[in-house]
Amino acid sequence: MTGARKTQSDKLSETEAIERAKQGDAEAFETLYHLHKRRVYSLCLRMTSNTAAAEDLTQEAFLQLFRKIGTFRGESAFSTWLHRMAVNVVLMQLRKKGLAVVPLEETIQTEEDSPRKEPGAEDSKLAGSVDRLQLERAIADLPPGYRAVFLLHDVEGYEHNEIAHLVGCSIGNSKSQLHKARMKLRELLKTSRAEKATKP
Amino acid sequence: MTCDEFGRVLPELEGGHHKEQQEHLKSCSSCSDLVSDLNAIAQQARLLTDDHEPSPRVWNSIEIALRQEGLIHQPRPQLVPSVARSPRWRFAWVVPITAALVFGAVLLFMHQHLNNQVAQQPSVSPQVIEAAAQSSQASAVLTDEDQLLNVIAARAPTLRAGYESDLRAVNAYIRDAELSARNDPNDQIAQQYLLNAYEQRAMVYEMALERALP
Repeated sequence: MTGARKTQSDKLSETEAIERAKQGDAEAFETLYHLHKRRVYSLCLRMTSNTAAAEDLTQEAFLQLFRKIGTFRGESAFSTWLHRMAVNVVLMQLRKKGLAVVPLEETIQTEEDSPRKEPGAEDSKLAGSVDRLQLERAIADLPPGYRAVFLLHDVEGYEHNEIAHLVGCSIGNSKSQLHKARMKLRELLKTSRAEKATKP
Repeated sequence: MTCDEFGRVLPELEGGHHKEQQEHLKSCSSCSDLVSDLNAIAQQARLLTDDHEPSPRVWNSIEIALRQEGLIHQPRPQLVPSVARSPRWRFAWVVPITAALVFGAVLLFMHQHLNNQVAQQPSVSPQVIEAAAQSSQASAVLTDEDQLLNVIAARAPTLRAGYESDLRAVNAYIRDAELSARNDPNDQIAQQYLLNAYEQRAMVYEMALERALP
């Protein structure tokens, strides 16, 4: 090896790890795995709400990545490439299981979408009282279709045109599903807070 | 503009509102609260961190598959320090015996110490106490996390940063989970989160120890 190899270094850069992984270096593969495992696993876990399924999908995403690592040329960020692969793996799994990721038809406005207040009904604002653990639990309770779009847009930062391409729906449908997901989360968070308030 | 009309266009709005919509929001507290809540949810979602940790079996399975597919082109490294092969190292037998004695003493100390700590928290469920004790047993080989990381660095320098990051993340997870459990001792889900957090720390130590010990 050339002088570039650091025998006493305490950190292998991602670029170095990628190049060494292309040569079949075991430690390089493991380095890349540790660098990105949490992001991939967190995505899979939130999408499936099941630790065993999330671990299987994480494993599959990394295996697909490592099999194709020889083709990575650096045109995009490695993490972006890996993340897109993980999203595809998860969505494919959801489709295989027959879980409609997003309904193909355009959604029709329903009463639950209306912000109109029921007369006499108590209402309370959520703003400022959404904590991380409550939100994680509420996301896990979302229907799979709503959950997928919400995670891709609000958590992972995909745009609606990207989501539409990934899940195979229209941009309008993606926006509608996102709105419904947020409305459902609002309802779940309020219910959770009300239940806590009534507990002794 | 009515609330129904506002509700119909709301999915299309991405933070921007037309004048008519802004006027409606000024005059309607219900719609205004709704928009405020939905924005708060979106904002909090952006702050969700990637601190969930897969178990060690994931990497183990990946490594096995990579070797079977021939993508790893070298044999599993023999974790024997080169110094052991030095002709000057005549007392190599002292090392494992000393390590075993230290291991036993530290294991006993950590088990007693951590059980006392956990037992002083009456709000923690028995399963969580057991998981914490198991976690302490797994981590009792080396009491100091820095010491563990230094040993890993000596054997596999490129992996130190990864394990350091893992330990930092899992300790933060434990702190969050402990706070939730303390705030509501009857919250079963918070207890479960705490249990999961301790289990994850035990797994990280287990994996790290596989690297650290000969």
